[in-house]
Amino acid sequence: MSLRLRLILLALSALVLVPGFGSVIGHIPGFGSEIPAYGELINRIGPAERQVANMVSAINFDIRGLDTLGEEFMLLAAIAGTVVLLRGQRGTDTADTAIRLPGRPLVPRAEAVTLVCRIFGPLIAVFGLYIVLHATVTPGGGFQGGVILASGTMLIYLGEGYAGWRRSVLSGWLDAMEGGGALVFTLCGLGPMLVGAAFMENLLPLGIYKDMLSGGLILIENLGVALAVTGGFTQLFLEFMEETREPAAGEDTPSE
Amino acid sequence: MSILLALLLLLAAVTGTGIVLVREPRRQVFAIAVNGLVLTLLFLALQAPDVALSELAVGTVVVPLLFLVAIASVRTSRAGEDA
Repeated sequence: MSLRLRLILLALSALVLVPGFGSVIGHIPGFGSEIPAYGELINRIGPAERQVANMVSAINFDIRGLDTLGEEFMLLAAIAGTVVLLRGQRGTDTADTAIRLPGRPLVPRAEAVTLVCRIFGPLIAVFGLYIVLHATVTPGGGFQGGVILASGTMLIYLGEGYAGWRRSVLSGWLDAMEGGGALVFTLCGLGPMLVGAAFMENLLPLGIYKDMLSGGLILIENLGVALAVTGGFTQLFLEFMEETREPAAGEDTPSE
Repeated sequence: MSILLALLLLLAAVTGTGIVLVREPRRQVFAIAVNGLVLTLLFLALQAPDVALSELAVGTVVVPLLFLVAIASVRTSRAGEDA
């Protein structure tokens, strides 16, 4: 298609779309002007019926918990797919060396980097756990805390090198965390059905409003998500980092 | 709309355009991280701290890291073929 033809096509489609686009823009409500009815409803029933202060958690894990369960399995499928695509001999041995461009100098790791990583690694882990545990009280939850925990493990790589990182982050454990987390979430849905309640009905004691242990079933679902996300994202890092290692002798490198 | 919000929206537009205009893949990764940071601040200013936390962790740590690894892997394997 020539440039001229493309421009004509652009002009024609603009002619058709711009009036509709303009009228939609004219009709959207003013920026931050009103709270929709659904938001008001959530703000009312969250504290009253679930003892939850963080409405986002109340929606994600209770009111629309089924959607989150779907997302959970989406994440599981995406990470399983990545692992299947990238799994190979390369990088599985902890002594494997990094591939590098010929002629680029090899800069040794400064002691300061190791020190900073050793100080901040545990702090980030604690912060991640805090975000996970306070899902029903403060912003955050299983997903956010899980990603923070997973990125915290990258500090081990930064500070201790590939071999040390591989020794402390074990692939089998990550698989178990990922699958186990999804299983915990699913059981949270099926469990209430055993006693005749609806799927994912919040039967556990709800606790006290603004207390860390409030929200009942939300807390357990949240732990499941945190496990799955921590395991899943760390597994993702692991599979990607393996690609930066020197291919093992005799291994076929893909031709693309 | 407060001045802070207007400024952050403007910054988001500028850094977003920056990602497109930077043509070198390695620099583009850092442009993505900067855009993620601006979006984090924007979500925070819009009182959506949950989304801000997700954006901070995913947009400025996970995505740039995976891109960097992918770029490193592609470059070095190409260099090996030439040699």
